[in-house]
Amino acid sequence: MNADLMNRIELLQRQEDADGIHKVVSDTIGHYGFERFIISGLPDRGVDVRPFVLLSGWDDEWYKRYTNLGYVHLDPVARNCFATTLPFDWSDAPYDREGDPQARRVMDEAHDFGMNEGLCVPVHLEGGMQGVVSLVGRTDWLSEQQRLELHMLALYAHGRLRFLNTVQTDRRRRAISPREAEVLKWVASGKTAADIAEITGLSARTVNQHCENAQRRLGTNNRLHTVVEAIRHKLIAL
Amino acid sequence: MQVHIVRGPVSDRHAALLEDNYRLRHRIFVEQQGWQALRRSDGRDVDAFDNADATHILLTKSDQLVGGSRVTPLDRPNLLQTVFSGLVQDDLPADPSLGADWTRFYVRPDRREGRRRTPESAALFCAMMEYALNEGFTFITFVSSLSMVEHGNAVGWRITPLGEPALVDGKATVAAWIEVSEHALDNVRRATGMRRALIPASPPTRGPSIPLYAH
Repeated sequence: MNADLMNRIELLQRQEDADGIHKVVSDTIGHYGFERFIISGLPDRGVDVRPFVLLSGWDDEWYKRYTNLGYVHLDPVARNCFATTLPFDWSDAPYDREGDPQARRVMDEAHDFGMNEGLCVPVHLEGGMQGVVSLVGRTDWLSEQQRLELHMLALYAHGRLRFLNTVQTDRRRRAISPREAEVLKWVASGKTAADIAEITGLSARTVNQHCENAQRRLGTNNRLHTVVEAIRHKLIAL
Repeated sequence: MQVHIVRGPVSDRHAALLEDNYRLRHRIFVEQQGWQALRRSDGRDVDAFDNADATHILLTKSDQLVGGSRVTPLDRPNLLQTVFSGLVQDDLPADPSLGADWTRFYVRPDRREGRRRTPESAALFCAMMEYALNEGFTFITFVSSLSMVEHGNAVGWRITPLGEPALVDGKATVAAWIEVSEHALDNVRRATGMRRALIPASPPTRGPSIPLYAH
């Protein structure tokens, strides 16, 4: 398999935040003649799309308009994701130009924003959830192999973003307070509650309370376990 | 839910489970997904690789089979290097004896309801990584629709293609390998909320089932 594509896949999987993914995806799709893109889940009818958006590389103005006006529910491209597993050209998303004025409005407005052509990659998630990676640009010159490569890259980006999202939520749930973190750092360096009380100016009782609170938040069994988990989740640095 | 590691010689209890597995596989892979090459008149999906070298990771809930996977060695005849060899252009990441081929992953269709990752598929992903670590493998290969790349990445697994993706029977398909590591197990547990080990340390026996999820 071509070395450049392998490198980009490897790079995507090493990214630790959405900005990093944004940069790798932008660079990569640039080689295929695409510029802007969006990566998102598709909500059920009538549900706001914004919480489902994993990464927007669209113009701010179009993004605001599209999300504020609930265009995702009118957009023939988004709708067609539910009907196919293979990437398709936006122009191949079927809709009735005469009988469906709302769909026509979305397509016409996108056109006015300079988004008249693009490639849409449907993403089938576990449990029947649906996602999408949509790339803005010309598609007529793409070979079947290039379409497959873009398909695969899109899935790597979508999966990595989904993972980073769950881990972030996990981290928030596990968050401990700065005071608890400070106390745990001293515990990690072998100090007793009395030592820590002296160092921090807190009472020994308060120090113990902080340890117990951290233990409860982290769902751990004892002080050692709490310290190990706090280090493992990078809540304290040594 | 309970995970069963089934391999020869198979106990009576596991023989029945294995039989259910073959029938469920036929229903899913042949009747639903249309994999005609596997069709058999007895309604059992059993192929040349369901032999003594195969290990079946089976998942039950209230004694009912709800999902499964098959693991076959890469240093014996296997699907990856025979039927799907056209999808493989690159070398395996290490000696074949250090890896295994993951095939026939399924979750019983009526368990796939609701808009979420099913606990069954989460448990099988966790069990697979746990099993691979226990066995000392460093990589797991698979051939699948491209979606698997997304699902694997979404649980924090590092996945490397073994060749160009290709259209097979109109479906975008790829051969790839998953890195086996403690980190990969930690990631899949965090992503799925799994809080405990699923594979018994001693030879599997029928024990009391422990709830899979802490919440």
